[in-house]
Amino acid sequence: MHTTTASPVTTRLSQRLANFKLGDAVIASLAERVAIDGLAIGRINPCIYGICVDYFSDRLPRLDTLTAKRGVSKWEVFPYGIIDWDRFHVRVAFNVDELEGRGLAREFGH
Amino acid sequence: MRSGFLPDRIVHLHPTRLCNLACRHCYSESSPQRAAALDPVVVGDALARLRDEGYAVVSLSGGEPLLYRSLRAVVERAKELGFRVTMVSNGLLAERADSVLSLVDAVAISFDGLAGSHNEIRGRADAFERACAAVRRLAAVGRPVGAAISLTRAAIPELPDLADHLTGLGARALQIRPVARAGRARELGEATFYRPADLARLYLVSLALEQELPNVRVHCDVVPTETLWQHREAYASLLGACDGLPIHERRLSDLVNPLVVTDTGVLKPISYDFNRRFDIASLEELSSDGVRRYKKHGALEFQTLVGRTVASLQNRGDFIDWFDYCTRYSEAVGAPVSLVRA
Repeated sequence: MHTTTASPVTTRLSQRLANFKLGDAVIASLAERVAIDGLAIGRINPCIYGICVDYFSDRLPRLDTLTAKRGVSKWEVFPYGIIDWDRFHVRVAFNVDELEGRGLAREFGH
Repeated sequence: MRSGFLPDRIVHLHPTRLCNLACRHCYSESSPQRAAALDPVVVGDALARLRDEGYAVVSLSGGEPLLYRSLRAVVERAKELGFRVTMVSNGLLAERADSVLSLVDAVAISFDGLAGSHNEIRGRADAFERACAAVRRLAAVGRPVGAAISLTRAAIPELPDLADHLTGLGARALQIRPVARAGRARELGEATFYRPADLARLYLVSLALEQELPNVRVHCDVVPTETLWQHREAYASLLGACDGLPIHERRLSDLVNPLVVTDTGVLKPISYDFNRRFDIASLEELSSDGVRRYKKHGALEFQTLVGRTVASLQNRGDFIDWFDYCTRYSEAVGAPVSLVRA
C-alpha cells in the first residue's frame, strides 16, 4: 500500500484544489472517488494516504460500493453504538497522487 | 418538517433594485438608476400573511438594502412578527447604518474574489477595501457577520486566500456560490461560467476550507446530485402527502421555499429570475384570494416541475447549485404565462 508524506498535502489542501494547475480530469476523478452512494460527506482531510474523507450515514453502509472505488487505501466503519444506534461514521482513505505532486512535480515546483 | 433543501423557510425580500453599484454579474440588474421601491405598509401586511403561511426568516437583498428608505420600518415589522431577519449588503454604506444593522440577526457582506476581481466586477476601485472595512467594523462591535461569496470561474483560485482574509477580519460564516447565468451576468463571456469539473472543484475547495477554518461556517451552494437525491424526502411537503392534507390546504411555505418577493411586488418561487410562468401572486393579492388561487392551480404546475427536477437527479453523479439548476429547468418549460393579475 502506498502512502504519501503528509507535509506537502497539509500545506494547504484548499489551495491545491483551487489551483487550475490541478487539471479538470484530476478534479473530476477525485470528485468521483469521494462521492459514495448512500453516504453523506462530512469532512475531508489531508492524511498520510492522500485524502481521508469522513462520511456519515443512518443506514448500514454498503461495503460493495465502497470497495469498488478506485484508489481506496483503507476504510473504517465506526458504529455510534449506544450514542446513536442508527448512525454510522465511515472513514475512507484515498490515494491521491496528484495532490502530493507525483506526475505534476514541475507544475507544483517541487 | 423541512420544506426543500433549506434548513429554514425563507422569504427573500428585494425591496428595491436601487444600488450604489452596478455589478457586472448582478442577477437582478440593480443600479443607481433603479429608483422604484416597495411600499413598506404593503410589505408589512404581506409579511404578516407570510408568517401565517409558515415562513420564519426574512432575508433582505436588492439592490442595496441600506438604500431602501423604509428599511428600518420593514425590519422592525418583521421582528415584531417573529421573523429572523438577515441581510446581504455590499458593505459600502455600513458605517452609516449602525442603528438599523443592530436590529438584524445577521449580515453578510458580498464578495466576488480578492481586490482585483472584486473591484473589476463592481466597477469601483475601493469596493473591496470598503467591503472589508464593513466586515471588520461589524465584527468589532460583536455583530454576527458573514460573507456571501460569488465567484466567476476565473476567481476560484482566489477563494482560499479570500476566505483567510475574511475570517481574519472577523467573518464567522462564508456562503460560496458560482456566479449564476442570470440578469446582467448573461452579458459576461462564456469563460465566466462553470463547466462540470469547475463545480466539482468549488465543492472540494469548500470542503477543504471547512477543515482549514474550524471556527467558521463554510457553506457551498454546489453539492453532489447524489447527496440531493439521498435527501429528496426534504421535498415531501410539496411532492408527497403532507399530513394527509390536499395541496390547496397546505401552508405556502410547505410548497414554496425559498419565496422571492421582487421589487415590483411579485412573489416567485426559488429565485429572482425563475420563469414567470410560475409566479405566485402579487403582494396586493396576498390579502385577498391570491394565495388560495395559487394553491389550487399554480402550485400544481410547480409541483410537477419540482418533481421532474428532483427525479432528474437520480444517477447523475455530478455537482450542481440546486436553486440555479431548478431555475434553468424552469426556463425549459414553455413560454411564461403569469398567474399574477395585471
